[in-house]
Amino acid sequence: MAGADQDFYRVLGVPRNASQDEIQRAYRKLARENHPDVNKDPAAEERFKDISEAYNVLSDPQTRRRYDAFGPDFRQVPEGVDPETWRRARAGAGAGAGARAGSGAGAAGGRGGFGPDIDLDDLLGGLFGGRGGRGWGAVPGADQEAEVELTVEDAYHGTRRTLTLTSPAGTRSIDVTIPAGVTDGQRIRLAGQGGRGSDGAPPGDLYLIVRIAPHRGYRLEGRDLHVELRLSPWEAALGTSIAVATPAGEVKLSVPAGTSSGRRLRMRGRGLPNPRGRPGDLFAEARIMVPATPTEAERELFERLAAVSEFDPRRRR
Amino acid sequence: MSYALVRARQLDLDQFAAAAGLHPELIRRFVALGILDADRDPGGRLWFRPTQLAAVARIQRLRAGFALNYAAIGLVTDLLDQIAALQATLRTTGGRER
Repeated sequence: MAGADQDFYRVLGVPRNASQDEIQRAYRKLARENHPDVNKDPAAEERFKDISEAYNVLSDPQTRRRYDAFGPDFRQVPEGVDPETWRRARAGAGAGAGARAGSGAGAAGGRGGFGPDIDLDDLLGGLFGGRGGRGWGAVPGADQEAEVELTVEDAYHGTRRTLTLTSPAGTRSIDVTIPAGVTDGQRIRLAGQGGRGSDGAPPGDLYLIVRIAPHRGYRLEGRDLHVELRLSPWEAALGTSIAVATPAGEVKLSVPAGTSSGRRLRMRGRGLPNPRGRPGDLFAEARIMVPATPTEAERELFERLAAVSEFDPRRRR
Repeated sequence: MSYALVRARQLDLDQFAAAAGLHPELIRRFVALGILDADRDPGGRLWFRPTQLAAVARIQRLRAGFALNYAAIGLVTDLLDQIAALQATLRTTGGRER
């Protein structure tokens, strides 16, 4: 399927006149990068299959010659056919070619006499058909990982996502319900959605890794939400009540009199919900702001305050 | 079959080998080589958790994909497990720059 119309040389990233050594080197390197137990990306499984299939064909000088002569359909060509004759026959066949490709691949691919156990239609033929793979029966699939990025609001309320995954079986979409109260870095297990097994063995699991996107208003630490609480000097000195935005909407926060910058006001249970236990807290950290360009009246009042006050913020107690 | 797997918390050697589709002697060798964990009861019999089937599948895939010998597979699986543990720590301690 996916690999059938691909150029095997391009899959391995080698020129058409590459030596057997170069082909082997390219294959080993790509196989290490994309092996399903090393690379958890769901797309790596398909790459690994393509790489293995390309190597199975190109590593054997005889199969490689046939591939060079007849192209991707070489498995359907009987032994001893002249390439020129074949090309002319194909060009003439026209409409019939599609049907033959469909029905012929299974029969010819299986026992065409190239290498052991290669079957083009076997999804994992590339995985287990090659060297050293003989004799294994059904092997369950590998676990895979994919990232999903959520906003803080999504993490708070829970959400639904449609994921599109690429695998040797083609692309498929799965609908995922993400529960309320997931945290950054948490893994969500989707049983049976990972790499496919061979010969009817069960597939592996897919783990979604939750990433919570940075937010302008909040900083997250686990389930605790941190917000910056901007106060004017008089609000901080006299105390006030302020509406703070949270993912669940605004909450009223009363700021006690005599609040200095850096003081953290905690609102229990106003962080992200926890499906199994105590929800996180909301921490509002006071930050006192002054007008960059005070009006005449403000300046006058500040000057009076400076003259009257005996408060020294630098005095150690 | 799959019901038995869910119900029984541990599998004996023959059950486990059947579930993995391999010869019991090969499973015993995996254990002897230290690439597959098993519990040994006082009678010396081997017991396996059903989750170990995934470990066997990984051994098979690594052997098929890289033509590794079993000593090398032991090294590779140990390293992969260590990397997975490190990545998990990174994820939960927020190692990502923001």
